[in-house]
Amino acid sequence: MAKPKIGIYGLTGCGGDQLMILNLENELLDLLRNVEIVAFQEASSVQQDEEVDIAFVEGSVSTELDLERLKDVRKRSRMLIAIGDCAIGGCVQAMRNQEMTMKEKMEEVYGKGEEYFKVLEPYGLSKYVNVDLELQGCPIETTEIRQVFLSLLHGDTPEIKDYPVCVECKLNEYQCLLVDKGMPCLGPIIAAGCNARCPGLGIDCVGCRGPIMNETNAAEELHTLLEKGYDERYIENRLRFFGANFEGILKLSKMLREKTGGARGK
Amino acid sequence: MTSESLDAFVNNLETYGKIYGPVKTGESCSFQEISQSKEMALNYSRTMIPPKKFFLKLKERMFIFDERECEYEETLEDGKIVVFGIHPCDIYALKLMDKIYLDKNPDKYYQMRRENATLIGYSCHPDEYCFCQSQGTNYAVDGFDLFLHELKDKFLVRIGSEKGNKIASENSKFFMDVESSDIQEFREAEGKREKEFTLKLAINGLTDMLALSYESDVWKEYADKCFGCGSCNLVCPTCRCYDVVDNVNMDLKSGERQRMLNSCMLKKHGLVYGGKNFRPTRVERLRNRFNCKGSLREDMMNCVGCGRCTVYCPSKIDYVEVLRRVRGEL
Ligand code: SF4
Ligand code: SF4
Ligand code: SF4
Ligand code: SF4
Repeated sequence: MAKPKIGIYGLTGCGGDQLMILNLENELLDLLRNVEIVAFQEASSVQQDEEVDIAFVEGSVSTELDLERLKDVRKRSRMLIAIGDCAIGGCVQAMRNQEMTMKEKMEEVYGKGEEYFKVLEPYGLSKYVNVDLELQGCPIETTEIRQVFLSLLHGDTPEIKDYPVCVECKLNEYQCLLVDKGMPCLGPIIAAGCNARCPGLGIDCVGCRGPIMNETNAAEELHTLLEKGYDERYIENRLRFFGANFEGILKLSKMLREKTGGARGK
Repeated sequence: MTSESLDAFVNNLETYGKIYGPVKTGESCSFQEISQSKEMALNYSRTMIPPKKFFLKLKERMFIFDERECEYEETLEDGKIVVFGIHPCDIYALKLMDKIYLDKNPDKYYQMRRENATLIGYSCHPDEYCFCQSQGTNYAVDGFDLFLHELKDKFLVRIGSEKGNKIASENSKFFMDVESSDIQEFREAEGKREKEFTLKLAINGLTDMLALSYESDVWKEYADKCFGCGSCNLVCPTCRCYDVVDNVNMDLKSGERQRMLNSCMLKKHGLVYGGKNFRPTRVERLRNRFNCKGSLREDMMNCVGCGRCTVYCPSKIDYVEVLRRVRGEL
């Protein structure tokens, strides 16, 4: 059987997810025995724009160029896998989505009248194209991407962790920081996969892996943290940091905006 | 047995394996390996993770396999343990787990660990979350090797098995005959304890009440509060669902099979081949969980009233309150 052809591409993002693939260091050569990599933006200047079996795409769609490249990759790939939060929900780049226009944002950063890029409001890939699999994380975990590679090569469906960080806390018998200490942990609405790294170190989860798809009970997270005495705006910012484009959080933001008549502090 | 003998007695248990007892870990308690009795917090209310973890591990590797040879090798570790300080509710919970994992088709892993374990029960006092009295699980009649009831300056020790009898005779120097004054003290302590329970749940006919409440709005109301985080199941001493995952190695031929505890509050629990899901929404999952807990396994209800699910729910969903709402009491 011919080796599957793989392309690894990046749109707007920090490059961290591609780096996590490179972090497989000790096993990269073994992996290469099983696949043929035709493009790997961060690792090689050789970029062949040919058809691929699996395309891994990192980064959000934040410019028209991103969108063009994404559509091109989609056309050329049998399977498209979004890697990292940017490619799924826009991640930190989307933090201020709907709060201010792109024009306002550009002016605030680059000054009036300048137009360096043709920008779009940051979103994940699935807003524009069909995505076959989404691998959450900011960045993704090496263990996870490794498992995705191996599962696909073995002919299985990769196991995607679509349950909260709380599960991993319990499986590791970590003390619950929210219940026991009243810390503003977002774990109940955030996708697992990090093996509850932060709670294991006594630090509350800020949600870097992003909210759980179609399961995010953001209203209850707000309610829970309000009850513990946290400020509404603080909680909202915390929720929007990695998850502003997620349905439950969007709805919540809208509701809060309406409540305060649009007058929000920064 | 006198209170002063506890230390020496616990030390002597070493011949039965590594000793685990309730240890304070931050604000919670956890069964951990100990080397001396004073490391234990024997007046603990409940551990977050129940002693079930010794028998049905939180996560474990079951075996390694090689497709080329069509071979697999079980990776059972085989060590003797003593679990010291188990409360009555958790003893009942293990009896329930035994029905599931030992009767009919025994689970090898569970069975081996169960056979390797010595259980020493320990008396307790209820807090505002305990409702074992309502569930009939506040006094362990059997299911342990020894049970220590703490009295003023001594323990009244009950023997629950042949192994318990053997331990007692090997340690006879610590044990004294029971005097009528001891019986009097024990009776008074138990009578007092019975009156300490404040949380009550009427369980008569609960199973039917749940079945009749299938369409109740209560489920939707609590499902709106629920995160679907699975904590309630993962801390429950009677929850027994697990998930199995195969991890293949780089050679794509060999690998390992893992299993870890799972929760019916998670989306994937009801997922079957073809992408269909029995319980796609939290309403269905929450209702399922309460129906499972409120159902009977032979003569035992699938809840022992330990209070863990209420205490560790990040959304403060109160188990007893939900069932009282279902019964129409609130
Ligand atoms: S510490 Fe956070 S992630 Fe862990 S169980 Fe508690 S709420 Fe969930
Ligand atoms: S912030 Fe949350 S999701 Fe990110 S690594 Fe820490 S615990 Fe995991
Ligand atoms: S359902 Fe709740 S109270 Fe009942 S045994 Fe489980 S954790 Fe304890
Ligand atoms: S612990 Fe509470 S929030 Fe989490 S799944 Fe159970 S009932 Fe829902």
